[in-house]
Amino acid sequence: MADVPGEPARSGLTIANLHKSYDENRVLKGIDLVFGFGEVHALLGANGAGKSTLLGCLSGAVHPDRADIRIGERSYDGFTPRRAFDAGIAIIYQHFQLIGPLSVADNIFLGRELRRPGGTVDRRRQEREAGEVLAELGLDLDPRAPVGGLSVGAQQMVEIARAVRLDPRVLILDEPTAALGAHEVAALLALVRRLATRGIAVVYVTHLLGEVLEVADRATVLRDGRVHWTRPRSELTLAGLVEGISPDAATDRERKRAALGSDVVLRLDGACSGFTGPLDLDVRAGEVVGVFGLLGSGRTDLLESLAGVRSLRGGAVRIDDTPVRLGSPRAAQRSGVALVPSDRKAQALFGTMTAVENMLMPHLGRLAGRRTALRSRRREHDVFARMVDTVDLVPPRAAQPADGFSGGNAQKIAVARWTCGLGSPRLLLLDEPTQGVDIGARHDLYALVRSWAADAGAAVLFSTSDPEEVLALADRVVVLVEGRVTHVGPADLEESALVALAQPAVTERSVAS
Amino acid sequence: MTTPPASTPAGTPTALVVAEPEPAPRRRRTARTSVVVSWVMPAATVLLMAYFSVATSNFLTFDNLAAVLTQNAAVFIVAAAAAMLLMAGYADLSVGSMMALAGVSAGLAFTHHGVVAGLVVGLLVGLAVGTLNGVLIGVLEMSPIVVTLGGLAAWRALAQYLAPDSVFGFPDAVGDFAIGRFLGLTWIAWIAIVVCVVAVAVMALLPLGRHIQAIGVNARAAFLVGIRVKGTILALYAVVGLAVGLAALLQVARLDSAPSGTLGVGFEVTVLTAVLLGGIPFTGGRGSMWRVLVGVWLIAVLKNGLTLLNYGPEVAGMVTGAVLVVAAALEAVAVAARRRG
Repeated sequence: MADVPGEPARSGLTIANLHKSYDENRVLKGIDLVFGFGEVHALLGANGAGKSTLLGCLSGAVHPDRADIRIGERSYDGFTPRRAFDAGIAIIYQHFQLIGPLSVADNIFLGRELRRPGGTVDRRRQEREAGEVLAELGLDLDPRAPVGGLSVGAQQMVEIARAVRLDPRVLILDEPTAALGAHEVAALLALVRRLATRGIAVVYVTHLLGEVLEVADRATVLRDGRVHWTRPRSELTLAGLVEGISPDAATDRERKRAALGSDVVLRLDGACSGFTGPLDLDVRAGEVVGVFGLLGSGRTDLLESLAGVRSLRGGAVRIDDTPVRLGSPRAAQRSGVALVPSDRKAQALFGTMTAVENMLMPHLGRLAGRRTALRSRRREHDVFARMVDTVDLVPPRAAQPADGFSGGNAQKIAVARWTCGLGSPRLLLLDEPTQGVDIGARHDLYALVRSWAADAGAAVLFSTSDPEEVLALADRVVVLVEGRVTHVGPADLEESALVALAQPAVTERSVAS
Repeated sequence: MTTPPASTPAGTPTALVVAEPEPAPRRRRTARTSVVVSWVMPAATVLLMAYFSVATSNFLTFDNLAAVLTQNAAVFIVAAAAAMLLMAGYADLSVGSMMALAGVSAGLAFTHHGVVAGLVVGLLVGLAVGTLNGVLIGVLEMSPIVVTLGGLAAWRALAQYLAPDSVFGFPDAVGDFAIGRFLGLTWIAWIAIVVCVVAVAVMALLPLGRHIQAIGVNARAAFLVGIRVKGTILALYAVVGLAVGLAALLQVARLDSAPSGTLGVGFEVTVLTAVLLGGIPFTGGRGSMWRVLVGVWLIAVLKNGLTLLNYGPEVAGMVTGAVLVVAAALEAVAVAARRRG
């Protein structure tokens, strides 16, 4: 290793003074960072810290407002996907971009096929060279096997082999182990180390802190759009990482009020979703319960099962002491269960439709004239205007398309859909309620959810991977690890204790590697 | 030792597989409809009418325009229903053949069993075929293209099997109705007007209109907020079928015969052209009903004016195709300009 861990690497990907804002929202406020050639550099940060925007700037998906980026001798002020590729930056995402029916070799050479003089694809040479790349990486895979038949871990390896064949200088791995089993993780971490020894700058993005301790030469924590710190391997500890990622959330914690009613609104009796459970849980009127777990813990699966999106595998669900039918989202809503999905664009909002239509979509029939069945613009706008004040929506324009709102304000619209007093849900499910939401709007959303639960005497169940969010919003917490409920209790733990509870068998993996 | 790779790849555009960003949720345009579709198309219609008014002596007469309305009543009715369907993101390519089947069935019933039987059979055949489409596509989630392309081939074949030759010899009441008038317009034109008004009202004034649009914009989100997506798609195909049945009755009455081989040939193209001109894309979610109706009128006026100028139907066909492509091109340019801006 040429680079002494801890000292800034002399050569590599150097980012200086990188800024990015969306409208008023300053996401990146001057990032200075060096990813050295030959090092594994872990990039950490809570949701909303600016990680994904930074990755976007490097992949070319996002253009920074201002930046001085150097790779070796060349400097850039931003990338397009093409320029990022030309500069030698490769990114591997959580979602694979492989073509299932094609062979390993075909996938590795996809878009850059080796050709014979006549222009036809030289399959034999591709298979030979793919075999060489795989062998070089220490991977025991048949180049002729269809990718679709491989395990998730092996597919991840094929992704990496495809990127590595093109000799990238910087390789960014975004949550690469999210979908992998324990022994696959060990193999992947070993591969990551080998890639670094080839002189590649490996940027490793993850929530799994055990992996950071295992594989990273250095780690950088982003917080609120800035580099909070960068530390060498020798100074990394689990407690230090947790403290860095999630600063004290005391302000929000103080806002919590224990004004719980005595009635049980939600009662889960051995509830099993497809991937999680069994879970026994009573949630009282006004109570907010957080489901805490990392990617792959099954937290979304659990919420979607309660919302009627997927079916429950077993157990009983009672709302206000009445067994409920959860056959579809519509049926669940009739039983008093409403869901705010995590992926706003894909699952919650109607991008081109107006703010008022988005907020009131499930209630248009309720607001329509009793006899005429015609929509009542006046009643719709009355409700909208009231909610604009309640949630402090910016801009407060009813006719603005949902696409035109920032993440935080779009989420306010999605939440207000069920807290506007119509449809009277008894249980509100929030999946990752503040994903991609800036700090200010986050506090507004927490206040909105808490006061609504108290006023309506309803129950709230939310999922998150952010320990700070649990402590800021929840009265109690359910911890999920790979589908199993490992802890149910009051949300008054230390963040480090909470994170430790959610780590899937770190020690086991360490041994395996 | 740290050894930077010897060379960075000299990438080609097709080689971006590795560096490509995660497939983001499909980006939708910010505005609900583009400026071009909002204003250029209605403006073009007005200009076109102004031109024909000057260029021909008899274009701008009540009788001519009323005749245009009567001749295109079937298009208006089916386009109104098809626009609702396409707004939800679903298409029906089988309307022309459905029209042949419904028309021939109604014609046979008119000839052999009288007026009432003909009316009932025409409407019911349309409704039944539309409902079948709706079950296959909406409930069983089969591909709309596959199902209605199959229908395009099959329903006309069935119509020709039922009546290899043109069906005629209807009761007198059918022909009398076709030429009957009320306040200067034919009954046929009035029926089209009523259907169009109802369609505009449903889309603009009823919650259902927003639900249909919501399905077209984001079917997943619509399902999650509790809209009955499958039921709505089923109902929309059934409504299109019913509209085709009604349109078939009007056509058969107007022609006083039901020619199985030619009734409704190319009708799906005319309807789709009008709907697309109205700014509803194949993916649904945008556009508006009244613009679709302006689109129907634009095509109708174009054909009529060119006929008055002594051009054959083949010229009208070419011009109609060109208008559609030019409108789409203008919109693409406007969208590209907005992305840059």
